[in-house]
Amino acid sequence: MVTIDFTLNGKRVTVDVNDNETLLFTLREKLSIKSVKEGCSIGECGTCTVLIDDETHYSCLTLSSKVTGRDVKTVEYLGNIIELHPLQEAFISCGAVQCGYCTPGMLLSAYSLLLKNKDPQDEEIKRAISGNLCRCTGYIQIIEAIRYAAGILKQNC
Amino acid sequence: MFIGRDIDRIDVLDKVLGKPIFAYDLKVEGMLFGCIYRSKRPHALIKKIDIQDALSLNGIVKVITHADIPGENAFGAIKKDQFYLAGDKVRYIGEPILIILGESEKIVRKALNSIKVEYEDIEAIYDPFSSRDSTTLIHDTGNLLSYRTVIKGDFEQGFNESDVVVEHTYKTTWLDHAFMETESGIGYMDETGKIVICSSTQNVHYKRKEISKLLALPEDRIRVIQATTGGGFGGKLDMTVEGYIALSVYLTKRPVVMRFTREESFLSNTKRHPLYIEYKTGAKKDGSINAVKVNIIGDTGAYISYGETVCLRAAIHATGPYEVPHVFVESRMFYTNNHISGAMRGFGIPQVAFAHESQIDEVALLLNMDPLEVRMKNGLRRGSLTATSQLLTNSAGFLETLKKIEPFWKARKKQGLHTGFGLGCMYYGIGNTGVSNPSSCYLTFTDEGKIAFHSGVCEIGQGSDTALLQILLETLNVEERDVVLLRGDTDTSNDAGSSSASRQTYVSGRAVYDAALKMRKYLKSKGYYDCETLRGVCLLAKEEGLPVFEGFFDPPTSPVDSKTSQGIPYATYAFATHMTEIDVDKATGFCKVKKVHASHDVGKAINLKNVKGQIYGGIAMGVGLALMEEFVPSKTESFDSYYIPTSMDMPDVEIFIVEDEEPTGPFGAKGLGEPALIPQAASIVNAIKDAVGVRAFELPCHIERLKALIESEKDKWVE
Repeated sequence: MVTIDFTLNGKRVTVDVNDNETLLFTLREKLSIKSVKEGCSIGECGTCTVLIDDETHYSCLTLSSKVTGRDVKTVEYLGNIIELHPLQEAFISCGAVQCGYCTPGMLLSAYSLLLKNKDPQDEEIKRAISGNLCRCTGYIQIIEAIRYAAGILKQNC
Repeated sequence: MFIGRDIDRIDVLDKVLGKPIFAYDLKVEGMLFGCIYRSKRPHALIKKIDIQDALSLNGIVKVITHADIPGENAFGAIKKDQFYLAGDKVRYIGEPILIILGESEKIVRKALNSIKVEYEDIEAIYDPFSSRDSTTLIHDTGNLLSYRTVIKGDFEQGFNESDVVVEHTYKTTWLDHAFMETESGIGYMDETGKIVICSSTQNVHYKRKEISKLLALPEDRIRVIQATTGGGFGGKLDMTVEGYIALSVYLTKRPVVMRFTREESFLSNTKRHPLYIEYKTGAKKDGSINAVKVNIIGDTGAYISYGETVCLRAAIHATGPYEVPHVFVESRMFYTNNHISGAMRGFGIPQVAFAHESQIDEVALLLNMDPLEVRMKNGLRRGSLTATSQLLTNSAGFLETLKKIEPFWKARKKQGLHTGFGLGCMYYGIGNTGVSNPSSCYLTFTDEGKIAFHSGVCEIGQGSDTALLQILLETLNVEERDVVLLRGDTDTSNDAGSSSASRQTYVSGRAVYDAALKMRKYLKSKGYYDCETLRGVCLLAKEEGLPVFEGFFDPPTSPVDSKTSQGIPYATYAFATHMTEIDVDKATGFCKVKKVHASHDVGKAINLKNVKGQIYGGIAMGVGLALMEEFVPSKTESFDSYYIPTSMDMPDVEIFIVEDEEPTGPFGAKGLGEPALIPQAASIVNAIKDAVGVRAFELPCHIERLKALIESEKDKWVE
């Protein structure tokens, strides 16, 4: 058991974790972040995606002890009911959500992409979300939403 | 106006915020974790079960066997042939034997390794042909589950009159639903002693019935609630976790949670039926299809699930969306000791579409005709007789879907050396086959002066909540804020039937329309449409004794004849045409799907954005069916050995909607969930033939298989 502290969605948190504990487990079971989902636990499906220092990581393959001192973001960081992030707005308006299980991870992959690339081409968007499986939507409205949000964010700059 | 409007899904705000509560997100104080111990043998007698070591582990609370079941140890959507917990015999690897309950998931999973079961193996049967010929019986009733025939006209005469005949055999394999959320649920006993199950499911009322029989308790002692559900596609129709949780709660009096790992989900969930399809088509010189003879052999696995449904549905739809005067179809479903095949988006029709669409292209080739022209010539339309001699009198927009695609088909131009174009068409009967499949709902008022919409329809991601709400709002002429939706709870809704067979928009939509008409009449009588407020009407209604407005619809069908399957199996049909452009790398066998033009007759698009979402998602699944997805028993364990399409695999898609309104549907709507997928694989197979001259007779036509096909074709040229 070790005590770690890290930034979670902009706030500093301290938590005791086991040596072999995954970040997915810590977030869900100890910090009540239920938006991070388990889909396969072997790093294939992307539903457990989180951002660590704004890069996407599978939290099912990340040891919690490794995030000490780092910046962890989940979908809760992006926006709230009063002020949605443009990506969230675009996911709504473009019909990018069906069952919603992949949505938090998908949004975070998109967010990470737009931090690095303000004007992504479709192929770049596809690549950025290729580690996030979705069985419902066929991805097209997700890609449209990310493209649309990129446009909005560029205007806002 | 709400019909045809792209209103946002009613659950979407929560979903982009990551807020919805899926079953595994729920927590109840003192909750036990439950896990299933499964058979490691495909076919064996159970000689001895030793649970002592498991019970002695710290934190293990109970191990449940079949002997602990108070009611019936049997379930099944069609027939009750499946055991919750095996007693003396197992019939497939993965069959449940025990439930282990403990204080944490970790301890329970550890306990799985402490269970010792002694088996006496019986010869195992792994394919339907061995099943047919074997003297080893999987069930006492014999190894043939179901035999159905479709007979129309005289097929021998039909072939004699034909100028060309094509004949081939097509094979498909097992596919997994691969919903992102695995099977999960929680259960507890509420303060009144009722057993409450909250799970990821496609039907709540069916599950309540099954649990009632399992526990020998009246249905009013059971409550099933649908948690937010992370995809279904047919895989959450059967009992998954619900029975086990209910039994565990009943026996321990403690709350219980259960969730399958992805590996358990792959191991235990039903699969798409592998079908072996011998197909013969006879056509006249002018391109008219004169006779079709089909022999379907399917592997349903160890238990029935939806095996009989797929057997009949595949047979009825075997001729595709074409009018054929002489039809002879045989369809057989055999038990094997493979895992159970059940309902998966399309109920066998994506498999038969692969066959009939390949045949149509072969006919066109022999006759030197345009494949689109052959389809147009034979396509079902108003006045046509289907293979079951059902006269199509209403919505039948198949030709219109072809016409939408026609200009793109005519203008198609190969961009690269190995580019190809293919067509795929389909028709699909909406709702259950030749049986009553009603939906009911009710409307009333809330204390806050709103309309309470009580719906038993399970929203599994497909958007039914939103479509049904649009139908309600349109009929009542009220706003979204005036309505409170109470959905997916057996305590607060009537049975709407399962979210399957593409039936909810059509069947439940019509039931909602029915209830709304009654409420509208009431609102009108109370002056709502003149000057009275909704709140005012509600207050008045409360004083008078709260009125309840029930809605009901059962699609008009008739049972099909047991020998010939002639009759009216469905009240209405959806139709579609897909045209797909692909590019093949001849050196590697890699097939890139570049563009799909998809045209669907949906009757009426209640919500175009959601209609498009269904079509895109269906196309993705069709790409998987055609090129990628293959469940290999004992090898496939998780997503590292089962590939579903990613964003990189998706083509560009252009969608065309045909709205040939169905008079029995709500505002003319039919269904779409399954039709979106059905023609896609077929169109890819035809495009591969166009691109590189080889025809795939087995799916998936994955990279190795396509490369081998291309190589064998090369060898032919050398010879």
